[in-house]
Amino acid sequence: MRHPSDGALRRLLDEPSGVAETDRQHAADCPRCRSSVDAMQADAALVAALMTEESTEVDVDGAWLVASTSSSATARSTISTPAAARRRALARPVAAALAFVVVLTGAGVAAANDWLPIFRTERVAPVSITAADLLALPDLSAYGDLLVTSRPNVRAVPDAAAAAAATGLDVPQVTDLPRGVRGEPVVQVGSKASVTFTFSTERAAKAAAAAGKPLPPPPLGLDGSSVRLDAGPGVAQVWSSSAGVPALIVGRAVAPTAYSSGVRFETMRDYLLSLPGLPERVADQLRAFAADDSTLPLPVPADRVTTRSARVRGVDAVVLTTRDRTMAGVVWVADAVVTVVAGSLDADEVLTVARELT
Amino acid sequence: MRMPGSPAPSVRSDLEVVFRREYPAVVGVAARVLGSRDQAEDVAQDVFLSFGRTSVPASEARGWLCVAAAHTALNLLRSGRRRSAREDAVATYDAVVPDVADTVVRLEERTHVRAALARLPRKQAMALVLRHSGLSYAEVAAALDMSPGSVGTTVRRAESTLRKELTRHASSL
Repeated sequence: MRHPSDGALRRLLDEPSGVAETDRQHAADCPRCRSSVDAMQADAALVAALMTEESTEVDVDGAWLVASTSSSATARSTISTPAAARRRALARPVAAALAFVVVLTGAGVAAANDWLPIFRTERVAPVSITAADLLALPDLSAYGDLLVTSRPNVRAVPDAAAAAAATGLDVPQVTDLPRGVRGEPVVQVGSKASVTFTFSTERAAKAAAAAGKPLPPPPLGLDGSSVRLDAGPGVAQVWSSSAGVPALIVGRAVAPTAYSSGVRFETMRDYLLSLPGLPERVADQLRAFAADDSTLPLPVPADRVTTRSARVRGVDAVVLTTRDRTMAGVVWVADAVVTVVAGSLDADEVLTVARELT
Repeated sequence: MRMPGSPAPSVRSDLEVVFRREYPAVVGVAARVLGSRDQAEDVAQDVFLSFGRTSVPASEARGWLCVAAAHTALNLLRSGRRRSAREDAVATYDAVVPDVADTVVRLEERTHVRAALARLPRKQAMALVLRHSGLSYAEVAAALDMSPGSVGTTVRRAESTLRKELTRHASSL
């Protein structure tokens, strides 16, 4: 029996309808081809995850303003031209002005809606997730409007004292650097970030129809209601190795908090968990936080990272170790502040740093 | 290119419509290659500027723009006129403060996936980027002048090479 080509198997992942029926049937029945498809899917998911940028909204209006004011300029074909520099200089104030308006309107919406706190992080718990699970997650933006009302604006500051002044956080100090980590850290701070999601039954129905799945009936009052997620401010100290890879990161931030304009946390959570596309295994784990409005699920790539728990400074912490043992990290929450110690170290080394922070 | 002494180039009248419709997609293509939104937006501006002087039918604009964005971004990636890996690592870190543990694993890989992308044969890199940007097999085939049947093979080869390079790098740490 002739096996379909790699090209046909690869296309099965993206466009099954473009693959000949005989090849499709074969791939479904043949263990060897099925395992090839699985390997291809894993590679494709990995590459997709690594090539995909953090998805923030593209500012089309601002970009058009830039393009329309500079398109009469003389031709240029490279990036580092004076024209490009001028364009960037122009783009910044435009973006800044827009951000200002967005934050103002966001603040107005928040005030008008009388936000109820529905979630406050008091601890973290790992949720094991594979790259394929991640790809299968429903795209929230298809179910309503996702608006970033406040960006973290991450920037470097000269030292820990400046970071403390900028964030109001106690900046953790490392007493003894682990072996192999040297020098002074780069200190970065980020302001509070805020994202608002407004659910739209109409958009959700369209998204579900496009996916060929029926939309579970939304609970009363969900349409048009909003959930706001706040996180930060935060600070990170990063020690780099000669290769430019962080040897040690010590980060601290005000842990995420969620607010609702009316719907209860359980209602929103249960409904989101029932949406088509969410892998059952992941939904089950998330459901395990039942009636819990204070445990932050920490998505962990199960095929690459193992987790265990440990005690750090009197609270439960999650210890993460990559399966190849090249990196480890520890995360804990105390007084609504999340702290992370991670690096190209082993689990014992990060725990030692974590326990000795002052 | 505008020749010295020639009249100022006229810009096509449907540019704004096409720009507003396709700009996010074009930025997305360049960002996949470069891993930097700022640089991707610069590439997108350049690509639309070139598009404004063509007579490519509006119905074919998306394919044309995506191909141009991928080419321009790959050229930039290979020219080394990007930020250094160090700056890149810090910038990647910026984007995802809450998931620091995961980030430690990822930012390392993101830097290396771009180095590996720069080394791929141009056709493989183009097919990979266009496919992952959401173009159909038929659109990729038309853009790169290949048969739809060979798109899968080319994309698969590129993904396999990238994964091997990442694995090789991870084990040499």
